[in-house]
Amino acid sequence: MPLDIPLKNFHEANGANMVPFAGFNMPINYKPGIINEHKNVRNHSGIFDVSHMGQVLVEATDLHINNLEKYIPLKLNNLRNNKSNYTFLLNQNGGVVDDLIVSLIEINSKSFLYIVYNASRKNEDEKIFFKCAPNAEILHVKNCLFAIQGPESIEVLNNVIELPVDMHFLDIDVLKYKNNLAIVSRSGYTGEDGFEISISIDQAEVFVKDLLKNKNTMLCGLGSRDSLRLEAGLSLYGHELNENITPIEAGLSWALDKDRLNDSTLNGNKILSNQLHNKPSNKKIGLISVSRSMLRDGMNLFDSNKNDIGKITSGCFSPNLNKSIAIGYVNSHFDEEKEIFCEIRNKMELVKKTSLPFVKKNYKKNEGNNE
Amino acid sequence: MRVIMSKKKYTKDHEWVSIDNDIATVGISNHAQESLGDIVFIELPSVGKSVNAKDEICVVESVKAASDIYAPIDGEIMEVNNSLEGDAAIINQDAENTGWIFKMKVSNPSQYDELMTEDDYKIFLEQ
Repeated sequence: MPLDIPLKNFHEANGANMVPFAGFNMPINYKPGIINEHKNVRNHSGIFDVSHMGQVLVEATDLHINNLEKYIPLKLNNLRNNKSNYTFLLNQNGGVVDDLIVSLIEINSKSFLYIVYNASRKNEDEKIFFKCAPNAEILHVKNCLFAIQGPESIEVLNNVIELPVDMHFLDIDVLKYKNNLAIVSRSGYTGEDGFEISISIDQAEVFVKDLLKNKNTMLCGLGSRDSLRLEAGLSLYGHELNENITPIEAGLSWALDKDRLNDSTLNGNKILSNQLHNKPSNKKIGLISVSRSMLRDGMNLFDSNKNDIGKITSGCFSPNLNKSIAIGYVNSHFDEEKEIFCEIRNKMELVKKTSLPFVKKNYKKNEGNNE
Repeated sequence: MRVIMSKKKYTKDHEWVSIDNDIATVGISNHAQESLGDIVFIELPSVGKSVNAKDEICVVESVKAASDIYAPIDGEIMEVNNSLEGDAAIINQDAENTGWIFKMKVSNPSQYDELMTEDDYKIFLEQ
């Protein structure tokens, strides 16, 4: 049986269509529907309850950091305070156990790694966290997690929580909401400016109601979160990422600290460093449907001679392009100038290759800091 | 010839059927469009095709999933709703009227009698 998130009743009362996802009953959409919710995020803002996701606090001691560096391809000692970093947990072959956001924050003058991870990977990740830091504190049993995304997010959130004036993309801070701690980062997974807020379960409903006082925002479900992240060309665990794909094959080598690939204490360092210098066997591409047909996860891709060249890992309807879009992997030897066909219901349909992302990202970065 | 019947009937696969003489008009129920969500594409059946009840004959794609549409009864496809090709969202707005999908010439009218009435379908949905 899927688990319920703390605000289940609130979502149902607000018209959520709840479906099982990663072991939880989650809102997939509300009354306006996926396309309207998607457009509202691109034009104004939208509020997502992502309390199914994992959140953990690990005390940032030398021992914990040393242990975690076996799995995480970053120099954790060099993390800057109040900064979030996109990274991975790696298995022995350099495959992705999970993709995560690791941030260094201070709570009551103690330094912590605050890690947000995928709901579908809680078991695997937590085994690693507890092995590295037996006193790790699972935060998602106490805190809900919300994402507010879209160009107007800052106005919506600033009316509810006073934000520091110089907060940029991937900055994070421990702030106050009605005398309770709220961990606020300027991040998200839609390609838009936005924030993620971790807040105590007791305060969660009042907090969301406060956000909804802004008339141009709305509750949005995981359906639009998926089409937004796909338009932004962002990878999703279980689709573009799994234990048999390395970050380099997934086109995410920018998220690796290259020096760590020479460090034999990092899982899979030799494989990764080899892939970085030679071509990995597969490459990630973007596809757009030429007909009106929808491209879906699992569909096979072929060249004009009907040779199997790869497959789609995520597909959806793009409200911004008014066409179906997809991300997939093809054999690295495939000549990208050649035509690609997708098998859709036993028919071969021509699809157009394109670069990622499909829709330009709209992050509020600090000048001169482009990562 | 059968008399004109305006009463709509329903299948367990959530199609609706109404019969005028020997021509059946078929679409998906309002319940079906609600659970599919935003419909973005429909692959219409070919006119002139002979079909048997329960054959998969066309596909409705919503942002969430692809869903097969089955022939509710035996017959031949006579006409398709071409306006859905440009705007499949008509089905979301008016599934059981202007969102009709195809018309078929009925070869076995007794199959129609076996389908659910609107009241039966309501009970079926509650189960």
